[in-house]
Amino acid sequence: MGQFSKIFKFELKGYLTNKVFVGVTAFIMVVLAVVLFFPRVADFFGGDDEPDDPGTVEPGERDVMLVKGGDESVRAALQEAFPDYEVRLEDGDIQTPVTQGEAECAVELRSLSDFTYYVDNLSMYDTNADTVSGVLTELYRLTAMTEAGVSPERAQEIMSTFTQYEVQSLGVDQGQNFFYTYIMIFALYMVILLYGQMVATNVATEKSSRAMEVLVTSARPNAMMFGKVMASCLAGFTQLVCIFGSALLFYKLNESYWAGVGIMGMFFDMPVALLVYMLVFFILGFLIYAFLYGAIGSTASKLEDINTSVMPVTMIFIAGFMVVVMAMTSGSVDNPLMVACSYIPFTSPMAMFTRIAMSHPAAYEIAISIAILAASCVGVGVVAAKIYRVGVLLYGASPKLKDILKAVKNA
Amino acid sequence: MLLELRDIHKSFGEKKVLTGVSFKAESGKAFGLLGRNGAGKTTSIRILMDVFPANSGEVLLDGKPIDYKKVGIGYLPEERGLYPKKKIIDQLIYFAQLKGMKTPDAVKSIDQWLTRLGMTEYRNKRLDTLSKGNQQKIQLVTALAHDPEIVILDEPFSGLDPVNAMLLKDVVKEEIAKGKIVLFSSHQMSYIEEFCDSIAIINKGVVALTGDLYDIKREYPRDKLAIRSTQREKIAAAFPGKTSVAENGELILKLSDPGEKMAVMQRLSREFDIDEVRVFEPSLNDIFVEYAGEQE
Repeated sequence: MGQFSKIFKFELKGYLTNKVFVGVTAFIMVVLAVVLFFPRVADFFGGDDEPDDPGTVEPGERDVMLVKGGDESVRAALQEAFPDYEVRLEDGDIQTPVTQGEAECAVELRSLSDFTYYVDNLSMYDTNADTVSGVLTELYRLTAMTEAGVSPERAQEIMSTFTQYEVQSLGVDQGQNFFYTYIMIFALYMVILLYGQMVATNVATEKSSRAMEVLVTSARPNAMMFGKVMASCLAGFTQLVCIFGSALLFYKLNESYWAGVGIMGMFFDMPVALLVYMLVFFILGFLIYAFLYGAIGSTASKLEDINTSVMPVTMIFIAGFMVVVMAMTSGSVDNPLMVACSYIPFTSPMAMFTRIAMSHPAAYEIAISIAILAASCVGVGVVAAKIYRVGVLLYGASPKLKDILKAVKNA
Repeated sequence: MLLELRDIHKSFGEKKVLTGVSFKAESGKAFGLLGRNGAGKTTSIRILMDVFPANSGEVLLDGKPIDYKKVGIGYLPEERGLYPKKKIIDQLIYFAQLKGMKTPDAVKSIDQWLTRLGMTEYRNKRLDTLSKGNQQKIQLVTALAHDPEIVILDEPFSGLDPVNAMLLKDVVKEEIAKGKIVLFSSHQMSYIEEFCDSIAIINKGVVALTGDLYDIKREYPRDKLAIRSTQREKIAAAFPGKTSVAENGELILKLSDPGEKMAVMQRLSREFDIDEVRVFEPSLNDIFVEYAGEQE
């Protein structure tokens, strides 16, 4: 215990006095402060600035949309739907102006229910064709109804009637939870990857600088391994607390200025229970990966070897992250893959946490998941310590997995 | 105190590294552990320091299994290196703490050693700003600051300039005089000969020779004559197949029997122009080459 606490303190001090570590943390906190204080500052300085009116843009400055094969009623309807564009009727070639940049886009109508949309480079976010389709559909229906004898006013009324509805979630509102779950999963992902790599690099540095030669004769490998991992865990946790804590503090200070922005409330109105789960999954998930990274670091003799050696573990982790993020975006967080992942120790920190945040798994499911994770953590820790014991004294080419396992068995 | 390794066996997987290694080192004396690269010196030292256990055999101190909690061991590894990016005083304190020292005691002892080695100006510098020789002196502090009963120095003189080598010699002599067990491992035989009272030569995991260096030299078969003469070729022709030329130009004549010594000496001085003839006493280098060399 004595050696563990000394190593723990030394390593933690190493992190907390590391200029990059402190710099990055401070930088993120400053950015958060700037963002979260922005409305207050903007309000203070520019309270009487008139907001820019998008309608005041001169016609000559607007992008041009060409329309071929339609009449003035079509042009007027499109102009109303696209206030940012100058919609012009054109009888000649409409494709060349688009490719030459004279017009932003063009619409060629064959009838009210059939058209082609031309644009030079189709942006991912270009929804003009859909809008045009909507405008033309409405126009077509109005025309059809008027021709069938319905008065234009009545036709307009029919077209503008929508069914009214409201939604009440009896479970979890995934839409609202999505944001902070995503932020938390992402934080977990970043911290585990970053600190895992740091632990691996740290061990490999001791080996390559040969400080290990003295260390192994001064301290028990278990104390070294656990001291390092725990120190990095606390350092990572401290960093998260600084970042999230300052974000929360800055938000609370400026809450009234953010009142109109619903998405901010979504970030910060996190249930306390979820924070506790976050803590549990963060610590266990962090430890299980940090042990693995530490063990891998101990088998590399050069720093250059680290990147390739940690690849398999990083891959598993990224695969888990992808599964979770895909499930989150598709909304089906309880799909069979997610359920399986929420019991596998290497993916459960993210998968189970997501399910808790965005669905409602049974209490026993959560308990089993945490129990498996905790037990695996101990198991991985023991095996990692053994690999570490053997690994730190191996120099030369990175040993093969088979050799390591053999050595561990003999140790 | 008497440190004893008794019948140590160690293998890594299929590979046997040590087979029945035994030797003894006494306090107040220096012990030389010799062997070629890969002979098993470092493995012996690591077992002695409890980095990993032996498959069988014992490490004894005064006849009892050594208690690592009570006995301090200082180690200067052959592969030197500490934390390059950290402040020297910080890491020295860290290593002293790991050896069980309280921080104030550690600081006091480290400052004494830094003064003794003339390194006080580097106290608050980063290690990688120092020259290699100075880094080595810092590493020596990690081996000695906690005042260990057993001091293990692996190739301590490599990389030191003559002035620093002299300083280190003095320090080692002081440690020996303090009644510590000093264990040397080196390829530089001249240093071993200068310091060590007893030695062990390890070859391929087996102790090929161990004991008091003076006795070893005495017991070495006195069946060779060293001859200085201008007529080396004539002498060689007179004793066909029995002569060789040593590095210093002396002619070495192997006798069929040590008892012939007087007769051969008389014959030599009668028949040839001889500057000097004496019984050949091997240097440690010769002994080492004989026991650890040829069997490749």
